[in-house]
Parts: sequence; structure tokens; C-alpha cells
Amino acid sequence: MLPADTLAAPTAAPTRSRRRWLSPIKIAPYLFVLPNMIVFGLFTIWPAINMFNISLYDSTNGRTFRWVGFQNYAELTSNQAFLRAFTSTLVFTVAFVVLTTILATGYAILLNQSFRGRGFFRAVLFLPSLLSAVVVGLLWGWILNRTNGLLNVGLDAVGLGQPGWLIDGRLAMVVIIFVGLWIHVGFYTLIMLSGLQGIDPSVYEAAAIDGASPTQQFLSMTWPLLRPTTLVVVILATISGFQSFDFIWTLTGGGPVGATTLMVQYIYERAFESPIRYGLASAGGVILFICVFGFTLLNYLNGRRQDAA
Amino acid sequence: MSTSTWTSTGHWRTPTLGLVIRYTVLVATTLVILIPLVWTLLSSFKTEVELAARPPRPLPAQWNLDNYTGALESFAFGTYLMNSTIVTVAATILTLVINTMCAYGLAKYNFRGRNLLFLLVLATIMVPLQVILISVYQVAAQLGLVNSLLGMIIPPAATPTGVFLLRQYMLSIPDELIEASRIDGAGEFRTFLQVVVPLCGAPIAVVTIFSIMWRWNDFLWPLIIAQDQSKYTLPVALAQFNSQLVVPFNYILAMSVVSMLPVIAMFLFLQRYIVLGIANSGLK
Repeated sequence: MLPADTLAAPTAAPTRSRRRWLSPIKIAPYLFVLPNMIVFGLFTIWPAINMFNISLYDSTNGRTFRWVGFQNYAELTSNQAFLRAFTSTLVFTVAFVVLTTILATGYAILLNQSFRGRGFFRAVLFLPSLLSAVVVGLLWGWILNRTNGLLNVGLDAVGLGQPGWLIDGRLAMVVIIFVGLWIHVGFYTLIMLSGLQGIDPSVYEAAAIDGASPTQQFLSMTWPLLRPTTLVVVILATISGFQSFDFIWTLTGGGPVGATTLMVQYIYERAFESPIRYGLASAGGVILFICVFGFTLLNYLNGRRQDAA
Repeated sequence: MSTSTWTSTGHWRTPTLGLVIRYTVLVATTLVILIPLVWTLLSSFKTEVELAARPPRPLPAQWNLDNYTGALESFAFGTYLMNSTIVTVAATILTLVINTMCAYGLAKYNFRGRNLLFLLVLATIMVPLQVILISVYQVAAQLGLVNSLLGMIIPPAATPTGVFLLRQYMLSIPDELIEASRIDGAGEFRTFLQVVVPLCGAPIAVVTIFSIMWRWNDFLWPLIIAQDQSKYTLPVALAQFNSQLVVPFNYILAMSVVSMLPVIAMFLFLQRYIVLGIANSGLK
């Protein structure tokens, strides 16, 4: 480093160039990033690496660890509760991502042009994503209560009976997907909206002159031009879907009989509720990470391939 | 075809099919979003008996704050509210300080490993706390952070989103400004504090709002860290007491409203920044 610096500044006096590589401007960037990187390293980077390490041990208390190699992974592949959580997570995430993308695109198109009440509708749509997911889950659980909930009281009054929203396993899965969308769609709509507003209006004028119908305009222009924004939405929704936990915890508690227990809840319960299985839970975490990473990479490569085409 | 009828004939404009569909969809969506929230707000003033009444009456018989004061007096909701406030304020300040400094280092200096560090920060958006929960808890336990408010404040403070947002903005600050400050004899840190930070009002506002939202609503991490009830934050207390049925539901409703009010108020006043932040980053 030192000779290169001297070469780069041939006019500088030797004494000055000697001091330069320890000058404030050289040390400053490291000092600026240091505090953030200490917290980041301690609570994100190191744990991410260490989780893989823990997954190779067995521990029932978090203090004594016994080396078991890949046995935890082998156990998970035949563990009914885990397999169920794994499948439910995939079902939930795929439904959540697909519906989020469709709804966010739809709402963004509805909100793109200026019309009376636009600001109000945009604010209302975004409102749920500000709220505590735990509280949202709790409130929906109350509203969807089979006998006393507002929804069934209403349905019963018009003769539609009292569906067991949170009692029937399949319905409960539909409910958590719905509440997930209720919370998040407004946020993704705003992203789509910013993408739409980045499209030059003159392309539409040109298309209108050429006589393209609104459907043709959407399919041949809006959709391709929105692809980069759609990619961001799909990737963020995938990450968000895989990490869902808070609202489900207070909405269904993972029930009925495990029908809405997703992987994060499985990991949480095996790590912090008896019977504690630290290594097993960590192996679950590693698998969850592989899912998140795999899906993100897949989406990214797919987006790149389509852009290239 | 019918779109061509979208003309203004005198004072009356024929509503087009598109307009009808737009308003129908948006009004229906608004109802689905607002009915549960308004119903919660109204119900938070009702007594337990009124809540159980069939058919339910929309409005409470009496408008008073009994549920709110009751929850604060009969249960320790005052403590939980205080814990939530302390954690939110302290974590947000910490996030702002370390994120802004880090963003400046990454945006305005050339140093060995800069790109690697930035990539590392970006990559961890894919590694949310939920995924690495156990090993983060292990670190917190070794550092003695379990069952303390500090344990809720420090670990989530180095947000990748904040660093990313601030760095992108700082790239647009002209190097000449920083260079001029150096020539004036200001040190590196003073240049950062007196030249760069004042120019970053908008992204700092965005990160502040996001951080307040995240920390105020945080659940899984505080749930794990708070082992005594005295360390519960508001969301943790609401979730735990609701599932254990120890607190009357009218109190739970009142405290749910309390948990929602600050973020809604913040949104009403600072909506511009929130929309700006999402539009600029596409990140949550």
C-alpha cells in the first residue's frame, strides 16, 4: 500500500506520504462503519453461521451439547409435525406471494390515475401494514369466533350459518392467508404504484393513437415495463411469507391441531417450549433459510432471464 | 368500447364502466379494512356484558374510559406501555446513530472491503431474525442481555434497510461539499456531523418512522427476551394475556387501541415520508 501511495502522489514530500496512510481519511471509514458492524456481526452474521453449527448438535437445555452430525436433519425428514409445518409454510407462502402480486398490481392500477378520493383510498389500503401484527391477529380471532364473532353473528342473521373459520383446518389456512393479505397488500401496492409512476405516459399516448385497447396496453406495455418492480414485490413477499409468525400466533395459535403451524412457529416451540430440542430447531432454521434463499434466487434468475429475452 | 363514452356532456358526466368498477372495488376494500378497526374502537368502550350481548349493539351504552383506566390500574399495562416506549425510543436513536455513520462510511469513502461489507448488509435482508432466532438468542444469553430491555434494544438495531436507504441517498451528495469542508479544516467526524447529516433530513425521517414502527410492533424477539412479566412490552403482554384468558377482553380491546394509536397518528402526520421511503427503497 505504501509504495503505491507514494507513486500516486509523487509531488508529496516523503515525510508527508509516510504519515498519509495512517491519516484520518484512511482510518475514518473503518471507524464510521464499526459500531453498526459490531452489532451486525454479533447479532446477524455470527448467529447465521453458528446456527448451522448448532444444528449438528443435540441439546435439550441449551447448555450441554452433544455432537450428532446430520442426525437432526435425518430426524426432521421423518418428523410428522415438522413435515406438516414445512408443507403448510409452502402452501401459505405460495398463495400469499401470488395473491399479493396480483392484488398489489390491481390496486396500483386502480390508484394510478388521479380521481376523487384517491389519497384516502391509498391511505386506507396502507393502514393495516402499520399496525402491530399481534394485535391484528388477536382482533381477527375475535371477529371470526365461531359463535360470538361479528362475522358469524352477521352471517347467522342472514341465514348463512356459522362457519367454523378457526375450527376447520382448511378454512383456518384460508383465514391466515386472508389476514396476511389484509395486513401486507397495501405496502406492496405502494411499491407497485411507484413502479407505475415511473412509466413514461407518452408510451400510452402513442399506443392510444395506434388504437391499442386497454387490455392490449396492459399486456404489451404495463406488464413488461412493471417487471422489475414486480420482481421486487415477489422477492420481498417471499421473504415476508416465509417468516410469518406474529399474527398467526394470536389468530389461530397454529391450530386447529397444527393446521396453521408454520416453520417459524415450529422452530420457536422446539427452541423455547418443552420438550426443548435446540439442535433440531436449528436444523429447521437452516432448512427455512435454504427455502428463503432458494426461492429468492429462483425469482431473481427468472426475472433476469425474462429481462434478457 | 365503452371507454369512448367518457366525455363531458354539459354538467353531467356519464360514469364509465371502468369508473364504476374502480369505486366499487375500492369502497368494498375500504369496508373490509375499516370495519374491524372501527368495531374494535367502538367495542373498547363497552363493558364485558355489552360485549357478550346478542345481537351486538354497534355503540357502547356509555362513553367512558373505564376499560382504559381499568387495564392500567388492575393490571400492569402502565409498565408494559412504558417498556414499549423505552425500547422504541432507545432502539430508534441507536439505529439512527449507527446506521447513519455506517451509511456514510460506505457511501463516501473508498476503502478495502467496502463493496464486500455493503453486499453483506444487503444479503442479510434475506436472513430475518425469525430464521436465525436460536443462535441470536444464544449470543444474547452469553452477553447477559436476556430478560432486560437492553436485550430488546441492541440486537435489532443494525437494520440493513436503514443502511441501504441512507447510503443510496448519501451517494447523491456532491463530493465537493465534503472536500470543501475538509479544506476548511474540519475533521472527518465534524464534516459528517455538520455537513452531511443536515443534508439527510428526508432519509433520516424515513428511517426514524420505519424504526419506530418496527420496534413498537416487534413481537417475537421481545417475547423471547422478556422472561418476567415486568419486562413485557405491550404486544407481548397482549398476546400472552389474551391466550391465557387472564385479562378481561374489554381491557384487551382497550389496550389494543392504545397499541394502534401512536402508529396511526404518526402515519397521519408523516404520510409523505412513509410513501417516499417505500417508493425509494421498495424495502420494509
